[in-house]
Amino acid sequence: MSSLVGFLSLVFAIGINFYLFFSRYIFKFQKQKFNLFIRFSSLLTLLSFFSLMYAYVVSDFSNYNVFQNSHSNKPLIYKISGTWGNHEGSMLLWLSILSVFSFFFSFTKNIDESFKRLTLIIQSLLHILFGLFIVFTSNPFLVNSILVNEGLGLNPILQDPGLAVHPPILYGGYVGYSIVFSIAIAGLFQNSDDEWLYVAKKWSLISWTLLTGGIALGSYWAYYELGWGGWWFWDPVENISLMPWIAGLALVHSLMMVRGEQAIKKWIVFLSILCFSLSVFGTFLVRSGILTSVHSFAADASRGIFILLIFFIVTGFGFLVFLIKEPKKSNALNLLFINKVSALVINNILMIIATLTILLGTIYPIIIEVLYNKRISVGGPYFNATVIPIMIPGFLLMSIAPILSWQTNKMQNSKKYVLGFIILSILVLIQSYFLDFNTWGLVGLLLGFWIILASIIAIFSSYKVKFNIKFFQIINPHIAHIGVGIAIVGITCSSVFQNELDFNLNEGDKFDVNGKTVLFQEIETTNQINYQALRGKFLFDIEKNQSKKIEAGKNYYPVSKIITSEAGILHQWNKDIYFILGDQKNNEWFVKVLINPFVSFIWLGVIIMMYSGIIAVTRR
Amino acid sequence: MRRIFILTPLLVLLIICIFSLVYLLSGKDPNKPPSALLNKDVPIFESTSLYNSKEIIKTIDIKNKKTLINFFASWCSPCKIEHPLFFEIRKKHPELYLLGFNHKDPTTDAKKYLEDDGNPYDFVGVDADGLIALEFGVFGLPETYLINEDGKIIFKFMGPITKDVLKNEIEPLL
Repeated sequence: MSSLVGFLSLVFAIGINFYLFFSRYIFKFQKQKFNLFIRFSSLLTLLSFFSLMYAYVVSDFSNYNVFQNSHSNKPLIYKISGTWGNHEGSMLLWLSILSVFSFFFSFTKNIDESFKRLTLIIQSLLHILFGLFIVFTSNPFLVNSILVNEGLGLNPILQDPGLAVHPPILYGGYVGYSIVFSIAIAGLFQNSDDEWLYVAKKWSLISWTLLTGGIALGSYWAYYELGWGGWWFWDPVENISLMPWIAGLALVHSLMMVRGEQAIKKWIVFLSILCFSLSVFGTFLVRSGILTSVHSFAADASRGIFILLIFFIVTGFGFLVFLIKEPKKSNALNLLFINKVSALVINNILMIIATLTILLGTIYPIIIEVLYNKRISVGGPYFNATVIPIMIPGFLLMSIAPILSWQTNKMQNSKKYVLGFIILSILVLIQSYFLDFNTWGLVGLLLGFWIILASIIAIFSSYKVKFNIKFFQIINPHIAHIGVGIAIVGITCSSVFQNELDFNLNEGDKFDVNGKTVLFQEIETTNQINYQALRGKFLFDIEKNQSKKIEAGKNYYPVSKIITSEAGILHQWNKDIYFILGDQKNNEWFVKVLINPFVSFIWLGVIIMMYSGIIAVTRR
Repeated sequence: MRRIFILTPLLVLLIICIFSLVYLLSGKDPNKPPSALLNKDVPIFESTSLYNSKEIIKTIDIKNKKTLINFFASWCSPCKIEHPLFFEIRKKHPELYLLGFNHKDPTTDAKKYLEDDGNPYDFVGVDADGLIALEFGVFGLPETYLINEDGKIIFKFMGPITKDVLKNEIEPLL
């Protein structure tokens, strides 16, 4: 029953969007009515999504999608997250988020009504394209042809609280760019005043903040669930999310800097189209199953071709409009040797080069396989060797960019910065001389700390410190950059200074980790509601009274016959101690211990960046 | 000049779409990477028998006969799934030479596995250190290769073979 409601409301919502799309030419609307129709179609799409969720919650196995991906023994939260833990459901989530964005956009007040309507019509077109995709190739409301009373289960690796919320937030970022895309296209068509830039800024900040959160959640999940001890693997799917993130970063900065310059306005339109195109391209790569990774669901060529078509239409349409309708002439670019505008331009160029480098590495295997019928894989070594060096000058520039002047080459308080940089360099050099020296470690630490230091100097020397909202809004760019600096320190330490220890142990053995004694207490197997758990129990630092318990092991999911690894992590502010339980051989257990210094800094940096994103939304 | 600059995104889009489309239409499956060895000579190998360490098989021994090479191990559960199919092949195509390579397995475990589930192979070679698999470019167990009389690899399959694969892909080549 709920499946029928879901399907009908989905089809009805698509129908309304068809109606709206053609309304411009055939039917004439009053403005009130138009907005009402948009909201109504959004609510219908949401109704469709929640009907599917309801089918999951009550374990309605007469729905084929629920039967394939759920199981009545699953805890409620994973029944709910199971709604988007599969291809069909996740596409419906995509469409629902698109609807949510249209819904809220229809309430925007301070813009021209016909401009708003045009933006929403482009949203309607997107709704139609993706809606038809769902109905024709990925219908989650198919009826199960056999009568069953149990489902086949959800991919156990996805049964995790972090991952339950990761897709909706990530999609919030991806799909949020659709509004920015529509605004930019509408701006091109109408060639109106610059009002649309302010509207676009708000929405692109929201999308970028959500995307940041989504990527960080996915990365954190990979860190403790995959059991490899790392948090970023340059997996194709990670790259796909990183590309719109970097392009979005360039977009957000350009939007904040623009002062009516013709060139930057054009550039903003380009970036808006690019961000959403990359999002759709990412959806294509993941959903077509063209790339294998933890995210791949069953591959199906017809789906791939359909999304490829959507990608082609959306991107082609965007760039074609961009080609034909250039923004109107206005102020010229005020480029000096080093002022705000030139810093912005240089950073934008670097970010685009980084994006293209990642794009090349991601699609290179596809091109090679088509041309030479060989399977190659492009991984960490390529990306580390190309993307990181491209980003480094950008990071350097970023540390001083917010305090550069608009009109002149002069920099306020430049002596303080030079002095700060010299002292910091000496400190970092001494540190790396006495601890293990590593070139990348040195560069990363210097860069990270320098960004933090320069931002702090800027806050205290350029503004009067007050504790009210306005002050936090003014210093917000610096705060964001401090977040980046902290994240760079965390990234550098955890990747360059990671330490790995291997042990073969019996129960009751004591061993030494980082100068602390650890006791391998016992192996315990328990039966949980939907899996069997094997846990090695460790007691960290047994000489102290408050020794810490760590559990590392594996879960076995009998329904889908999959084993997942569950790392045991002891979080400390300056390092994570990461336990992985391996296999048993000759009555001895293989235990791997990784010491990851300053991992927490990465998450802290990300949280600060997201905070800044939110603060920036509130500022006009 | 400026036109070219603005046209670039459209060109890039076109190239990406064409390559992706060709990839999708060619029916490639990411789970079946193409083998660099397809239509090439079978790699040179030398292996001892699982049951008698004096008995040796070399590349030259499988010349002039069609050979099906299967990499398996006792610890590999998908191998267990495809195992019965080899008896079927054995029965239907007695002329086909079945060569099994036991991959990174203790000999006792391998023997027990073939005792419990039966031994369909004409010869079971030991590949204890996985070097032969490396030569063949094995991605993961099980993997199956068909070699023709000229010693060329004419078919490769990753993962357990199924009745469909046997009927539609292997048997037409026999």
